[in-house]
Amino acid sequence: MPELGDWKREIGEQLAGLRLAPVRHTEIVEELAQHLEDRYQELLAGGAAESDARRTALEELSGNELLVAELRRVEQSINQEQPVLGATKGSHLLQFLWRDLNYALRMLAKNPGFTAVAVLTLALGIGANTAIFSMINTVLLRPLPYSEPERLVRVVSIRLRDGADDNVSYPDFLDWRERNHSFEGLAVFETGGATLTATGTTQRVNLAIVSAELFQILRATPSLGRSFLPDDDKSGADGGTDAVILSHGLWQRQFGSDPHVLGRIIHLDGQNYTVVGVMPPGFQFPIQTESPELWITIAHDSAGKDAMTTQRGAHYLDVIGRLKPGVTAARAQAEMSTIVSGLNKQYPDIFPRGTRVVPELDKLVEDVRPAFLILLAAVGCVLLIACANVANLLLARGTGRRREIAIRTALGASRGRVIRQILTESILLSFLGGVLGLCLGIAGIGLLLRLVPEGIPRLSTVGTDSRILVFTVVLSLLTGILFGLIPAFQFSKSDVTESLKEGGRGSSEGVHRSRIRAVLVVGEVAVAMVLLVCASLLIQSLLRLQKVNPGFDHRQAITFGLQAPATYSTAHNLEFFQQVVDAARSSPGVRSASAVMPLPLGGDEADTSFSIDGRPVPKTSRPTTQFSAVEPDYFGTMGIPLVNGRDFTPRDDLKSLPVVIINETLAKRFFPGQNPIGQRIQPGMGNGNGYPPMREIVGVVGDVKQSRMNDGPTPQVYVPLAQSPFSSITVVVRSATEPMSVVSTMREKVAALDKDVPIFAVKTLDEYAAESVAQARFNSRLLGIFATLALTLAVIGIYGVISYSVTQRTHEIGVRVALGAGVREVLQLVVGQGLRLACVGIGIGLAGAFLLTRLLRTMLFGIQPTDLTTFLCVPLILFTATFLASYIPARRATKVDPLVALRYE
Amino acid sequence: MLDRELKKGSAELLILSLLEARPRHGYEISKLIEQRSAGTLRFHVASLYPLLYRLEKRGWIQGRWIEKAGQRRRRYYRLLMSGREVLASQRRGWRVFVEAINRITGEEHA
Repeated sequence: MPELGDWKREIGEQLAGLRLAPVRHTEIVEELAQHLEDRYQELLAGGAAESDARRTALEELSGNELLVAELRRVEQSINQEQPVLGATKGSHLLQFLWRDLNYALRMLAKNPGFTAVAVLTLALGIGANTAIFSMINTVLLRPLPYSEPERLVRVVSIRLRDGADDNVSYPDFLDWRERNHSFEGLAVFETGGATLTATGTTQRVNLAIVSAELFQILRATPSLGRSFLPDDDKSGADGGTDAVILSHGLWQRQFGSDPHVLGRIIHLDGQNYTVVGVMPPGFQFPIQTESPELWITIAHDSAGKDAMTTQRGAHYLDVIGRLKPGVTAARAQAEMSTIVSGLNKQYPDIFPRGTRVVPELDKLVEDVRPAFLILLAAVGCVLLIACANVANLLLARGTGRRREIAIRTALGASRGRVIRQILTESILLSFLGGVLGLCLGIAGIGLLLRLVPEGIPRLSTVGTDSRILVFTVVLSLLTGILFGLIPAFQFSKSDVTESLKEGGRGSSEGVHRSRIRAVLVVGEVAVAMVLLVCASLLIQSLLRLQKVNPGFDHRQAITFGLQAPATYSTAHNLEFFQQVVDAARSSPGVRSASAVMPLPLGGDEADTSFSIDGRPVPKTSRPTTQFSAVEPDYFGTMGIPLVNGRDFTPRDDLKSLPVVIINETLAKRFFPGQNPIGQRIQPGMGNGNGYPPMREIVGVVGDVKQSRMNDGPTPQVYVPLAQSPFSSITVVVRSATEPMSVVSTMREKVAALDKDVPIFAVKTLDEYAAESVAQARFNSRLLGIFATLALTLAVIGIYGVISYSVTQRTHEIGVRVALGAGVREVLQLVVGQGLRLACVGIGIGLAGAFLLTRLLRTMLFGIQPTDLTTFLCVPLILFTATFLASYIPARRATKVDPLVALRYE
Repeated sequence: MLDRELKKGSAELLILSLLEARPRHGYEISKLIEQRSAGTLRFHVASLYPLLYRLEKRGWIQGRWIEKAGQRRRRYYRLLMSGREVLASQRRGWRVFVEAINRITGEEHA
């Protein structure tokens, strides 16, 4: 007597060619079988013999080609028929996706431990990337806030003698502007500070000195009043005063958003300016950390008898231009090179120069780009390691899923279908990781901002925008595909019969898949190795940088800036500065005080060429030196040792013999084996009375780091402030107590001398010293964090693989123990496996590090990219870490009870 | 015996009509057609089920597995709203068609 199963088999065979979805197939088979069974039972009830009933029932299936053909038309024509509104092909796919997603969600929910570890690992990797990318997005990628910013370029002057970038002199700029055909407009600018006196208050403000066409070039128009006119470049164009444009912020703060501010006279360093315009909110130029709050024209520099704008050798301006439509930076570069070499021939007395034309955005971020890109590469590596870890987890877990996948394959799931399902799961995982990562990343930005050094343009405006979101989503997708593909292809290859066999312990599974896991772990260790070496090199650089002696004592000393009003005469300036320094000296708690221009590590430097008496050389081959003007007792106050000769005294003034003190490097380099005292040199910096004088060397002092801690020894000359007047100075006060306590006293004393002169830029020398290594600290900290993350993940990876393999090999280990293997042998077996992987990874990592660390060269200090100690110690750290990671599972292996392990046989 | 094309064209109408009163399963439908047509119309598995699936895909009828006490589960089909509308319009069409045929062939209407 036939059973339902027989009908089913019969029908199933006929429908096999249809390749229906498994569920649908089963359903149809059941329904038709039921029909045949009903017919059969009816025939039997009607008295038919079993064999006849059976034959008759089967006749129902006669013309089975018809059945198959009809079913094919119905079952596969769903899409053409459109029985339900909107049931298009797309929604069909969506349905599949939805089903996959549902299934994936269930799978993840079933293994909360696995899911949590995987999501967290991915979130760390993705979060780190999101945080770094959002900084890169803000600083490097976001377009400049001007109209058609891609046409804005910076024209940089290059000193051919050392290839360094330099500023441009105003006469050069005028020639550039006149001779070029590439630019719609060229403008100069420089930034500085001034004392603003308006509405009864006095304050220090940042300003920019620009040429009139700047706003035209930026396509920026004031929200109130007008921008500069060409005539504003000439002094006194506005009814005897110069024009000034206010920033929106200053207008609000200082002038209460007064709509009648236009035409008002304000005082900058005691000079009168007429307000002609107010810029709209958010306008910034140049873009920098403390951006200018007002703009005045180059008329400021062309005033007075010592006009900066008439000297072709006075390179102090930056030049920005807007390219004509259709002109490329390269074409402008070619034309500018011709113009500059023409000027070199025309003015042979000036050091020959070159030029480069750089997109404004590139110029703005030139200094920070390498560090950011290295950080991005580092977080990319961390993510790769995270991917390898999760892929490993999936592979390990997947072994348990082999039966499930084999069943699905047996039920008719194609290989593509299985791959799609597994990829859906991994993408879901990475998506969850991405969501958590985005949160971590956004939180991380806040943390990063606390670590970043000052002076990175635009960083303060960092935030999340759609680009960050897109970045994170795309990164999550790619991540999911990356770590999902390997397991997906592995599992879909599973041999169905093999997997379905009961008790398939997986000795055949071992070889191939565990090789893949080994490769992943080796890769992780290698990448972690590279990161660790890089981080270690940067940290050592920082340590060395922090140990550098700047040449002065930066403890317990306060500094502040002082600017004499423009109304003061040169003599009055000097007298005023001396009064301030004297007042400081007599303040309570002050040990000594002096003044300097410019302050070492203060961000300013002045250099000049010089000649040595009796050694004539052509003007353009003169050596150069750092130049500082100081008050008496500067060296004592700063703790700079006087090596030879004497310090300046108050008697070294304009009426006495011009004198100079040199540093040891200059002495060694230009007076080797001689006593420089009494020799004469002529630094090319004027004394306010025209031609620079020949000066007698009266002393030799120790070297000082003038611009950066990582500067090599540089020649430096010091002259008395009284013999080389400046209108602004930095006062240095060394105190016996907490240095900040002196500040309020000094504020009062300066106000008592002139109420319109504020003190500004109040900072300790300690702060300057810390700032000078801030970038190095940032680089090493971040890379240190990422390398630690990489190391942790790699160690977890090794632990996972070894621990898993111990589980897999329980039986084998049991046999070995039964055969007499001791604890020692088992430990050796397991730990040896981990260390072998580690060693291969370390080897590859070392080779990689050897090739890659040279990219760090510019960020290193006092250490070679291939430093031997580092290349020996870091592998040792990694080796120890991997030893521990495999030792823990190895201990577990030694506890294997051979009886328990063998019972399963 | 009606020819195959005609049978196929009218088959939808037959099935929908049979489901109008209450849900039925496939075997029941085939039996009813055979009985009520006194053996003139007979649907084999190969023609009935693809047709049911097609009507289901169109959203006119809906099949559902129902298990009754003491029986194996069977798939019952019930008429859906859209199916009812289709049935009404097909009935009208069929009547018009039959009348037209009658007028031409000149047979007396019963």
